[in-house]
Amino acid sequence: MHPILLIVFLPLLAAIIGGLGNRGLGNTVVKSLTTGALFASCGLSWMTFIPFLAGTAEASVVPVLTWVHSGTLTFDWALRVDALTAIMLVVITTVSALVHLYSWGYMAEDPDQPRFFAYLSLFTFAMLMLVTANNLVQMFFGWEGVGLASYLLIGFWFKKPSANAAAIKAFVVNRVGDLGFMLGIFGTYLVFQTTSIPEILAAAPGMSGASMTFLGMHLQTMDVLCILLFIGAMGKSAQLGLHTWLPDAMEGPTPVSALIHAATMVTAGVFMVCRLSPMFEAAPVALAMVTFVGAATCFFAATIGTTQWDIKRVIAYSTCSQLGYMFFAAGVGAYGAAMFHLFTHAFFKALLFLGAGSVIHAMHHEQDMRYYGGLRKHIPLTFWAMMAGTLAITGVGIADVFGFAGFYSKDAILEVAWARGTELSHFAFWMGTIAALLTSFYSWRLVFLTFFGKPRWDQSEHIQHAVHDDHGHAAHGHDDHAHHDAHGDGTAGYHPHESPVSMLIPLGVLSIGAIFAGLVFAPPFLQSEEFWGGAIYYNEALLHAMHGVPVWVKLAATVVMLIGVTTAWFAYIKDTSIPGKFVAQFRMLHAFLYNKWYFDELYNFLFVKPAFWLGRQLWMRGDVGLIDRFGPNGAAWVVARGTLAAKRVQSGYLYSYALVMLVGLVAAITWVML
Amino acid sequence: MIQTLAFYIFASLVIASAVMVIMSRNPVHSVLWLIVAFFNAAGLMVLVGAEFIAMLLVIVYVGAVAVLFLFVVMMLDIDFAELRAGFVKNFPLGLAIALVLLAEMVMGLGAYKAGGMQLGTPDGTAAAAVGASNIKAIGALLYSKYLFLFESAGIILLVAMIGAIVLTHRQRGDTRGQVISRQVARRPEEATVNTQPEVGKGVQL
Amino acid sequence: MEFQASLALVAPELVLSLSGLALLLAAAWGGDKASRLISILAVAALVGAGFLAAPALCNGASGPDTLAFGGQVKVDAFAAFAKLLIYLAAAASLIVAPAFFERVKAMRAEYPVLVLFAAMGMGIMVSAADLVTLYIGLELNSLAAYVLAAFLRTDERSAEAGLKYFVLGALASGFLLYGMSLTYGFAGTTSFAGIHAALAGDMSKGALFGLVFVLSGLAFKISAAPFHMWTPDVYEGAPTPVTTFFASAPKVAAMALTMRVVVDAFGAQVQAWQQIVMIVALVSIVVGALGAIGQDNIKRLMAYSSINNVGFILIGLAAATQQGASAMLVYLAIYVAMTIGGFVAILMLKDANGEPVEQIAQIAGLSSHRKVLAVCLAMIMFSLAGIPPLFGFWGKFLVFQAAVQAGMVPLAAIGIAASVIGAFYYLKVVKVMYFDEPANVAVGKSDWAHQALLAICAIFISPLGYLLTGWLGGMADKAAAALYFVG
Repeated sequence: MHPILLIVFLPLLAAIIGGLGNRGLGNTVVKSLTTGALFASCGLSWMTFIPFLAGTAEASVVPVLTWVHSGTLTFDWALRVDALTAIMLVVITTVSALVHLYSWGYMAEDPDQPRFFAYLSLFTFAMLMLVTANNLVQMFFGWEGVGLASYLLIGFWFKKPSANAAAIKAFVVNRVGDLGFMLGIFGTYLVFQTTSIPEILAAAPGMSGASMTFLGMHLQTMDVLCILLFIGAMGKSAQLGLHTWLPDAMEGPTPVSALIHAATMVTAGVFMVCRLSPMFEAAPVALAMVTFVGAATCFFAATIGTTQWDIKRVIAYSTCSQLGYMFFAAGVGAYGAAMFHLFTHAFFKALLFLGAGSVIHAMHHEQDMRYYGGLRKHIPLTFWAMMAGTLAITGVGIADVFGFAGFYSKDAILEVAWARGTELSHFAFWMGTIAALLTSFYSWRLVFLTFFGKPRWDQSEHIQHAVHDDHGHAAHGHDDHAHHDAHGDGTAGYHPHESPVSMLIPLGVLSIGAIFAGLVFAPPFLQSEEFWGGAIYYNEALLHAMHGVPVWVKLAATVVMLIGVTTAWFAYIKDTSIPGKFVAQFRMLHAFLYNKWYFDELYNFLFVKPAFWLGRQLWMRGDVGLIDRFGPNGAAWVVARGTLAAKRVQSGYLYSYALVMLVGLVAAITWVML
Repeated sequence: MIQTLAFYIFASLVIASAVMVIMSRNPVHSVLWLIVAFFNAAGLMVLVGAEFIAMLLVIVYVGAVAVLFLFVVMMLDIDFAELRAGFVKNFPLGLAIALVLLAEMVMGLGAYKAGGMQLGTPDGTAAAAVGASNIKAIGALLYSKYLFLFESAGIILLVAMIGAIVLTHRQRGDTRGQVISRQVARRPEEATVNTQPEVGKGVQL
Repeated sequence: MEFQASLALVAPELVLSLSGLALLLAAAWGGDKASRLISILAVAALVGAGFLAAPALCNGASGPDTLAFGGQVKVDAFAAFAKLLIYLAAAASLIVAPAFFERVKAMRAEYPVLVLFAAMGMGIMVSAADLVTLYIGLELNSLAAYVLAAFLRTDERSAEAGLKYFVLGALASGFLLYGMSLTYGFAGTTSFAGIHAALAGDMSKGALFGLVFVLSGLAFKISAAPFHMWTPDVYEGAPTPVTTFFASAPKVAAMALTMRVVVDAFGAQVQAWQQIVMIVALVSIVVGALGAIGQDNIKRLMAYSSINNVGFILIGLAAATQQGASAMLVYLAIYVAMTIGGFVAILMLKDANGEPVEQIAQIAGLSSHRKVLAVCLAMIMFSLAGIPPLFGFWGKFLVFQAAVQAGMVPLAAIGIAASVIGAFYYLKVVKVMYFDEPANVAVGKSDWAHQALLAICAIFISPLGYLLTGWLGGMADKAAAALYFVG
């Protein structure tokens, strides 16, 4: 049996058994089962990946089942294994296995643990299906599968209205993208007469420049298809315009955020663009759009990240921003760099999320950074893990000596954007550089607010609750404020404690990844055509040009990173009054950023309200007023009246019965006479 | 010519008396009109040469059925006013139906008159031997060709009889039936007793 | 020789009539005390007649060999199929009767005799090949039926039912006779084959009148709307075993007779009667469904249900194909099982004193104290509503299939839509039994014969019934082929 079958189907098996067995099997059994399956899957993934690194593996396709044979439309279930898939396999299974393990500790007090673990495994299966797809339909299956799992997991605490709202929002916004993706798939089938990815990619270069007519407009075929597909990617990867669901998705449990909304699902869009890179290469307008959207998202999300107070939202916008990097890397033609950033980002972003989760766990579910501070001494291991993550995301490193993971991937992206040499790629470079500064600022702001300074916990309701539960009985009748002020050190008498081992192990493993992933994997990802083996479009000239960029370009990222960290240090350690002054000075700007560029309000006005209005019209006028009135209710009314009439005719008198018979007879005769 | 004249007289009288049956206020009159209708129908039968059926009609229908009707109607205490109320209530609709039916009949008949309609010709299987009397012909058919149906019709009458008995016959406890064997076996000494009553006193039986 | 062959062909009728006469004598001697024994003997006579009728069906008999008495009687596979159903239904109504009548001390020896004669009349109806045969059979059955309806003569409702049935039946007989006279006048013969030959080509208005009158008279017997008015009153008023009989056997007989008349006698004028049958079918479905909704007496509800079902069966007739005839026969077989099962279940609804329970409100919460009975009744209701996987669905499916294949898609569509209305009242009964507050009225014990009969019907209409589809369909196909035999 090919190991890929085990890799893909072990999580499914675990999800089915765990999900159906649920409480019947008990927490421990389900948790062990799913986690065990994931670790097995993870081990096999690495075994699949390493031969690709060594350059000894060949791309292969493992058929599973016949799916559809209908006329010219033919596609089967098949699992494709090449370098691109192998990378994704490693990312998905590793992060997923670690998140499973982490959830043992994080979800320990939840009453619905089997369901949670089954969902996690189900998600992993769907994601694996997506990345191993050999045809667009199977990819779409995985695409929708992760969407479903994401919906279920965001809404996992379904008793919380905000969680439900966030889950629905994620689903609905993704539908918009999915519509594009579907149209893209339909169009691709229409143009190429196949849904098989290798066949499409082989035929794609020949289609460059082909045009089609739609509603009287002349359109470049490949551009249209790729833009449609990219709309799908925008939805899944939360790019500017369709990004609004990602921050809200933080309503889900933190391990979910780490797995789905940082490391895996949101990168599906990037993966898809890379997978279909030969197609995109034949579509210059679409590539320009990818570059622009990526660069804009990268900058836009970073600006919002600087003002948010919720620790998970900061990381969520950071994810959004980093995804922008990946997209514009792909847009300028450096698919390898995009995948490399995806790879390193998976480690450090999952690390940051899990670290944040550990902080939240320690702070009794308080997520507002204004009520953190001084946690360094209380939860040192978490602190060091977060430090590793922050160093990685901000791209700390010295060229040719050592750098954290993000240093290699982000620098490579910025250099390649400059090296591409077009106006758009230079725009992307500047956007990326500014975003790097902002990234550095908000990342360190997060660290400084959380781990340095004095404790500011006493303002937090969550902490007050926790303390109240401890001292509650004794302190009854006292004035709460007086009670808390008695401590005077801002801790409100609360003692954060380090997370359990099951949560710390993933942090440790991911820290290693965040520190060394860049150093170890940069050569194959960025400089080895053999490694890719044709899995993505490989632009040799561009990579050469990348080495020839000016020195200031190479240093730019490091410089802005230093500026960012210094600014953050001044504002949040040296003189904590600076942010307040800044906000007072630029009230409008702050409000604009703090309110996320008013995207939610804009959408609310443009789409949600009209949709509600339309919905209400269709409901009250169309459904109740028209369909119900003349449909079910009308029919019921007619039936009720008919019954009354039938009752009235059935009077019990012989002569009326005879009369009815006669009327029937005469009617029949009249009928045949006419 | 006379036959045609007789036919029209009989036919119109049948219809007229049938109308009178339902129009009469007094039910006794209705029955009497019914008898008139039967007589005229018998006349029609005579005209087509079915004198046996004509006699049956007179003897059975007039002689037995209608007279029985008459007795029943006279003996039963029926509130005819109430019956008539229902009749009046439904009269307009009934009349309308009758008129529609009549109109359609006329149309059908009109088609016949115009030659657009052919009456069937008897297939001859039931034709009587030439010269045979009515009774003979009917008897021959009933006991040969229509034997099965004739016997079945007998069963129908039997069922009607059973039905009449089932629905009306009551085992009455206070009636005394005649037991012939007991009557025959009875001796004079059981039936008679000699007494010598004193003057002014009755006999104690 | 011809005469002997004819007698051999009508052997079932001979058996029934002779045993009827013999049992009548036995009744006269034995009195009402012997009624149970006479019932048993009557069932035996029906079984014997069934065995005599069965070979014709198994052999798929058709053609000139099946004609008896100079073509007045036609004993082919079609007649045999209908006869077997009729005998079964009659036997069932005999089996359930003693327990019912003995409670009110009204079990009389004439009951089985009348049922035997009625069955004989129906046998003559379904093998009619002549208008006179048709009428004799019909009247023999009807006359027995009038008496049976009023059998509980001390019960006002029963007497009323008998009277209503009689008067309206006489009116219907009038229609029938008038139509037959017209037909005879325009065809010159009373034999079906002769009529078929005489009316070939353009049909005259007079013959058309005759056809309509004949069909109206027959529609009364199958209680198709608008000639259904007697049905609810008679079904409600008649003693329940009699209602069981009315709802099953005469329906089969009259339906088979109608098929015989329109195919054998008026087969050349399909378009003349097809539209009438279609309209009657749809009106029956709708009237049956609408009427049933307002009912609170379960026997009345079953009456409307039978009107409704007759409408569905007539859809098969409207198709005017051999396939449609076959579908109708299958439907009839299933319908007989459902109806008998339904009425037996109703017979088993008794209160603590053994009084019959007929109000739907009184069976509320039946599932709590009479579980098996409630399950059977629910199954019958679902089956009558035509809900798969119960067998009732199969009959509906076949007639709709026949209609669709005959190109009558709108008819089938309307029929299917109307069956949704029908589902309402069937489900209402189930809802009352299962979800309403228990009324604890129907708590009385049941007779073993009732239980056995109900069990057989329930098994037949359960999904297990589908095991019989091949066999039943094969028989129905043979019968339909005999009906459509062109010699």
